[in-house]
Amino acid sequence: MNSLRDIKQRIGNIDSTKQIIRAMDMIASTKLQKVRVQLEGVRPIYGNLKRIAEELGCHKDAHSHIFYNNSSIESNDTLYIVITSDRGLSGSYNANILSKSYAHMNQEGVNEKILVVGSKGYEFFKKRNKHILRTVTDLTDAQVYYVAESIANWLTDYYLSGKVKEVYIAYTHFETVLSYVPYVEKLLPLSCSGLKEYFDRKYEPDVKTFIDHLVPIYLHMNLFRAFSESHTSEQAARMVNMSSAGKNAEEIIEDLTRMFNRKRQAVITQELSEIVGSVSILNKGELDG
Amino acid sequence: MTRLSRDTSVPWVILMAEAAAKADRKIDLRITTPRGLKFEEKADMIIMRCIDGDMGVLRDHAPISAVLGDGILRIINDGVEQKLALFGGIVEISDNTVDIYSTIAQRPEEIDLERARRDKEEAEAIIMEETEELKIRSMQVVLRRSLVRIEVSLYLDEENEISIGNTNDDEE
Repeated sequence: MNSLRDIKQRIGNIDSTKQIIRAMDMIASTKLQKVRVQLEGVRPIYGNLKRIAEELGCHKDAHSHIFYNNSSIESNDTLYIVITSDRGLSGSYNANILSKSYAHMNQEGVNEKILVVGSKGYEFFKKRNKHILRTVTDLTDAQVYYVAESIANWLTDYYLSGKVKEVYIAYTHFETVLSYVPYVEKLLPLSCSGLKEYFDRKYEPDVKTFIDHLVPIYLHMNLFRAFSESHTSEQAARMVNMSSAGKNAEEIIEDLTRMFNRKRQAVITQELSEIVGSVSILNKGELDG
Repeated sequence: MTRLSRDTSVPWVILMAEAAAKADRKIDLRITTPRGLKFEEKADMIIMRCIDGDMGVLRDHAPISAVLGDGILRIINDGVEQKLALFGGIVEISDNTVDIYSTIAQRPEEIDLERARRDKEEAEAIIMEETEELKIRSMQVVLRRSLVRIEVSLYLDEENEISIGNTNDDEE
């Protein structure tokens, strides 16, 4: 079965696969750099808006606001926003976030609705017969900001219309190129961070208007950040996986080359021994003659 | 809506800013956008457009958080005035620091004047024709933003300054 020609063909195949892997590795690493810059940019504004929103939650006028207090919502549904990727080849990236969010769902008496980003997540939840409200796929990097904005607006309207009691977001937090952790965080209602007991800060024009303007921006930035975190993690995962796949391919090629050489040597040795054998037989014949 | 008309801007604003400059009492201004910390500077006085009118900030301002509207952010430092276009966002004032969190903040040199003019014309045309309330509203936002951009952009070469006062009436 393992003829010389077969082995040579396999080496050729793996070599071209290796080239594809290399290209994907390079694409992932350039994309990683780009999304990382985007991520570093959005983190400060997100962090500050989160702080402002949570500090405001402790204000006495904010307690009754629907964004902080969901007791007026009769629905018992929970909305999950799950961010996955459209393509595989990124190791355990999708599996991690999906199993994390899936484990977070399935609580007693809670009816989940899902907004899923990425076709991987869509397939996953469709198979498990979950109620998928909306699917966003084929996001290009340039669209992320505007898509985050439109989802934030949609989310605000949806929440205000009283169709869901709680909103969670599942994303992959990017720490370093080698470490990314899946998180499920509560988006709405907002909570009080409880650090500021007293309030000397004034809100203009008034607390309610301030919240009405703050929350959409906060949600937009939060979603944009979650997208960026997930995107960065995805590219990092793909890059790491592709470079290990590249190493694997090299190892296989090395093994196959060794096998090929051994086989070739065996063929040569066989041919030589045949020649030597036949020559010695011929010589014998001469001597005899 | 209380709004400062443009003509009053010269005397008292400069006077107050000069007084602040003499006392060397600066405030720190930081503008954070989704692309990171965009602008960090010291200033004598800052005037920004909130949703309910202009707000000026000098040193020792009370801690206030406010909602920003679409408008021009004027930064006066040592008698020099800078203008930035700022669209929406949140401002947080505390301990002589003004933190602005906004999705769009543009310097004059970053503004595409041609595009702003085009937007202005298109928006004006649509408002004239359109009858649908929602569409008019959104076009008014576009118009307002393009006017702010044009004004900020033209501030680079001061002599070309145009008045934004008249066209402001389209709002609301």
